Amino acid sequence: MTGPATGRFPGFDVLGQARHWDTVTADLIAARTGPPPEPRFFTDAERAAAEALLDQLTGQCDEPLGVPVLAMVDARLAAAETDGWRYEDLPEDGQAWRETLGCLDKDAHDRCGTGFAGAPRHDQAAIIQAVQDSSEWHGLNAPRVWSLWTRYACTALYSHPHAWSEMGFPGPAYPRGYKNAGVGKLEPFEVQDARAGDDPVRDGA
Amino acid sequence: MPGVRDRNESAWLLPNDGSRTNHGLRRDMRRFADTDEIDMVIVGCGAGGSVLAQRLARAGWRVAALDAGPFWDPDTDWVSDEAGSHHLYWTEPRVIAGSDPVPMGSNNSGRGVGGSMVHYAGYTPRFHPSDFSTYTADGVGADWPLGYADLRPYYADIEQELPVAGEHWPWGDPHGYPYRPHPVGGNGEVFLRGAGKLGITAKVGPVAIVNGRFGNRPHCIYRGFCLQGCKVNAKASPLITHVPDALARGAEIRANAMVTQVVIDQRTGRALGVNYLRDGRERFQRARMVAVAGYSIETPRLLLNSASSRFPDGLCNDFDQVGRYLMVQGAPQTAGRFDAEVRMYKSPPPEVSSEEFYETDPAKDYKRGFAIQTVSPLPITWAEHVAAQGHWGSALREYMSDYVHWSCLGALCEFLALPENRVTLDDEKDSHGLPVARFAYSQGDNDRALVKAAQAVMEDILHAAGADEVITIKRYAHLVGGARMAASERHGVVDQNCRSFAVPNLYITDGSVLPTQGSANPALTIMAVAARTADHLTGTA
Repeated sequence: MTGPATGRFPGFDVLGQARHWDTVTADLIAARTGPPPEPRFFTDAERAAAEALLDQLTGQCDEPLGVPVLAMVDARLAAAETDGWRYEDLPEDGQAWRETLGCLDKDAHDRCGTGFAGAPRHDQAAIIQAVQDSSEWHGLNAPRVWSLWTRYACTALYSHPHAWSEMGFPGPAYPRGYKNAGVGKLEPFEVQDARAGDDPVRDGA
Repeated sequence: MPGVRDRNESAWLLPNDGSRTNHGLRRDMRRFADTDEIDMVIVGCGAGGSVLAQRLARAGWRVAALDAGPFWDPDTDWVSDEAGSHHLYWTEPRVIAGSDPVPMGSNNSGRGVGGSMVHYAGYTPRFHPSDFSTYTADGVGADWPLGYADLRPYYADIEQELPVAGEHWPWGDPHGYPYRPHPVGGNGEVFLRGAGKLGITAKVGPVAIVNGRFGNRPHCIYRGFCLQGCKVNAKASPLITHVPDALARGAEIRANAMVTQVVIDQRTGRALGVNYLRDGRERFQRARMVAVAGYSIETPRLLLNSASSRFPDGLCNDFDQVGRYLMVQGAPQTAGRFDAEVRMYKSPPPEVSSEEFYETDPAKDYKRGFAIQTVSPLPITWAEHVAAQGHWGSALREYMSDYVHWSCLGALCEFLALPENRVTLDDEKDSHGLPVARFAYSQGDNDRALVKAAQAVMEDILHAAGADEVITIKRYAHLVGGARMAASERHGVVDQNCRSFAVPNLYITDGSVLPTQGSANPALTIMAVAARTADHLTGTA
């Protein structure tokens, strides 16, 4: 894996520090990195569309991190583990996911004559981009649909140690804590960014 | 801290063996029968409810505090992990509406004994004296029926009990703190450097995080997970600052007890107690007095769900005041990118504040102001910042991989209270069949002007510190109001002592009684108001 996000922290692996974590946290992270839970929420058709959408949103089409985002989102929706609110003009999260995945399939049929999962990746990307650029999409408030998708996708991806390793973040820190806080200071187990000049802003990512 | 232990022994009642919970104290807790007419039943064990319980128990009152959530044990219930802390937030269904709907959950809503202070950052500033009379001074907001001087001794008491660490505070009513300021990490360093170059005063603190040892509570270990519940017992929450002393003095903390209704005697108009659900059973706790402390969404919801023939539009709602004037602070966060590694996760997110822009500036075209503080988002929250810039896919990942180079500041803008920003009951029902809260929120022009000004100051500070690029996300923080105190029943729900105008033995002792919010994190003020009400009740005011 040598995409723009990977390889900035050579040799840094969050899981290498697991022996220093409290057991409750360590057990939780071990479960998260173990075999993903069986799918319970999405139907087969929804699951295919959701997987394609989530791989696109998390950049795992091009740079797979091995994070089972689909299974994590499915498990969360099956447990109705919402953020604790819904917009007045969207249904509750589970139903909103089902409806919007159906809309993606519809868009893909209109564009390519196939379901969203079967559409070529660049067509998938164009369909997603159109949602982000819209104010309304299939009668739904598009920015709120976008918010729903990205909240679930990002929460799943950035709860995973593989994603933490990619960004140089050491993960759980109890009971160890930190001793060397401050600009430019590292703990013995932290790894310096090998490409500190790779500023995505300057690069126009 | 000589004196504190005599008033509140909580920190000495915690274990000193590396574990965090005094299980014996909980096991041997006094337990009242539902049929006992206790002196006070309190609804909610957060900032307001816990302080009230502790104070009343000390005065010999027979008190039970019911909380809908669990009685947390930091060792076994909390983790050093963002996603794994989901259960700390109130995530029962709620509907958000209005032109600027406010997300709930992790943003502002706690669950369980300790309330939202379990997951708050730990900032505990006082309100300024000006906060209590914004209407007289500026024609905006409201005047409180009490003044800063009424709260001053309670601020000082609570600051010792939490305890608060920070530099001498030059703003508002200048004051010191019982504990020295913490050393700062990368994010605090950036803020102090940028502010210093611009001549903006910034100070370390005020945070309710132990710097040194306090009773049996250990020193902070700077692990950065303050918002996920402090496994160290270093950051203050009522779970460790007031509940242990309350238990030792004979209060009962009844966890996993969801209050569904305040019951009113239809003949006398007095409160008789509360209906609640526990272990799937409906029960009724009889009490001489009732205090509701469920915070700005659940307190109005409970009052509205307690309608009866005497109060057909909701308890205490004869003048259509319940649920109104609910406030949030505008909380834009601006981040700056540095070639050096800031690694902002390596310290408590609350480090450094500036209240330089807190007061009305006659030269500006807006009233009131804002505060600026360090915030240090962990990866999932940081991904919200990056996604808010429109990035997804490979671009999102590339931005995220740059995390160690970013510093992040947050503003708290004093959004003004408006009557139409309110909680009502929705048609949707929760799992108990009770109508859920619907919270409508819309900003005004003054609010938008404050956000713009705060963003500009944060950008200037980060640029002055050497950032080459800045990004901003617009968001909200904190809740207050919804059952505000006022001089009369036509303008609010409770009087200056937090007693409801409508029911003489019903009190509200949480953030919902605040008529204005300033640019200050509200926890300390909520506790101080509850402590003052306790003195009023026990006749020691």
